[in-house]
Amino acid sequence: MDSVSLKHNIEIILTPTFYTFIREELDIRFAYQAKQIAQSLFDDYLDPSREYQYHVSKSNGAWYFYAYDIEEIEAFIESKGIEKHRVSKIYFAQELSEELTQPLQVDTQMALQTIEGIITMIPLSLMESDVEFKTLKLEDLKLKNGVSMGASHTSLVSLKETILLSSLFLILGGTFIMEGYRIQSSTAEDESELMRLLDDNPTYGSSMIRESILEKYQPIDKLERQKRQSIKDISKLLSAKSELKALHIEKSKISADISTSNNNIIKQIQKSAKETNLKTSISGNSVKVERSL
Amino acid sequence: MNMMILQRYKNELIILITLLFLIFSAIYKYSADIDVNKNKRSTKETITQINHIKTLKKQWGGKQLANRVKILKTVVPNDKVVLFQKKSKKLTASYKNLTGTQVSKLTNKLIDIPVQITRLDVQQSAKNLYTMEFTCKW
Repeated sequence: MDSVSLKHNIEIILTPTFYTFIREELDIRFAYQAKQIAQSLFDDYLDPSREYQYHVSKSNGAWYFYAYDIEEIEAFIESKGIEKHRVSKIYFAQELSEELTQPLQVDTQMALQTIEGIITMIPLSLMESDVEFKTLKLEDLKLKNGVSMGASHTSLVSLKETILLSSLFLILGGTFIMEGYRIQSSTAEDESELMRLLDDNPTYGSSMIRESILEKYQPIDKLERQKRQSIKDISKLLSAKSELKALHIEKSKISADISTSNNNIIKQIQKSAKETNLKTSISGNSVKVERSL
Repeated sequence: MNMMILQRYKNELIILITLLFLIFSAIYKYSADIDVNKNKRSTKETITQINHIKTLKKQWGGKQLANRVKILKTVVPNDKVVLFQKKSKKLTASYKNLTGTQVSKLTNKLIDIPVQITRLDVQQSAKNLYTMEFTCKW
């Protein structure tokens, strides 16, 4: 083959010189399963010192296994002056088995022909001198089981590991996204409640107004609750043996005078008042209780 | 050349893309978590504050208070009511000759109504008889 110079990408068809082919009828459904056993099928046929790549395809109910050395192919391509990145796809001549019932002359010494369904290289010297060679019209060929040059190199990570790792990452990533979405949605209920409250009371939208209202009402709430609790506490000090003389609520103080004729009752009132944090002072038979507000 | 490299390292590329997807989704989840916690706290605080304001305003500034204080006039016999003057949002009331029970009843009614008690004077005038004066506003 003469050297060529290319400025566009090409596809090439490999002759059996560059690959080893096995056809097997196996009970295998998927190509990846076939690829897994490919290496073992070629164990007895390949040079163990070389590194091979494997390609599988299915045709007429049988699996077609190809073993090839991509470095050998690249070296050949480059020896012919073709830059290897110009080769986009590699096809195997076995795909031409139906077309090559008549021999196809490859060069001055060899021809390709289908023998018992398998494409074989035959030296021209073994052929009859009046043999008629077939002319192959490449544009009419429909080749479908090619491999790309890049994909032929052994990847650092196996397909199985790739599927396993990427599935794990996808599942985890999907979980994170769902969780993130769920978290974001969790505020929707609070936000709709806030919107409803603000629709009913638009002025409460401002935090300054809210603070101002609270500043007005919170002290009132605190003071009035204190007054009411104090009245209840004082009323608990009264009994059948004591009498209320006076009760006053002023701006910052609540006080009451309770009279009784019994000293024990005075002590009892004092004790109960202390428990509820009321100040007491005794004057004769009366007790004055008070609390600052 | 580039396509060849992509083809050769397609497994690594797939892993890299899915790993990036994982990293970005983790960042999305993490930032959603932070944003939501921050917003949720702020939203809940605002809701609590608004509800608190509504309760306080309703309690200490309710529109029905003017009607509710009327009961302070009827809870004791009319002849014991010396003064019952309602002006704007302020009530001044004065009672005489109230029994201890009536003082207790009147005081309980007063503290049940959410008005601001600005002044309260209960004074014993005779044995088991009291005068009572108070001023409240709302």
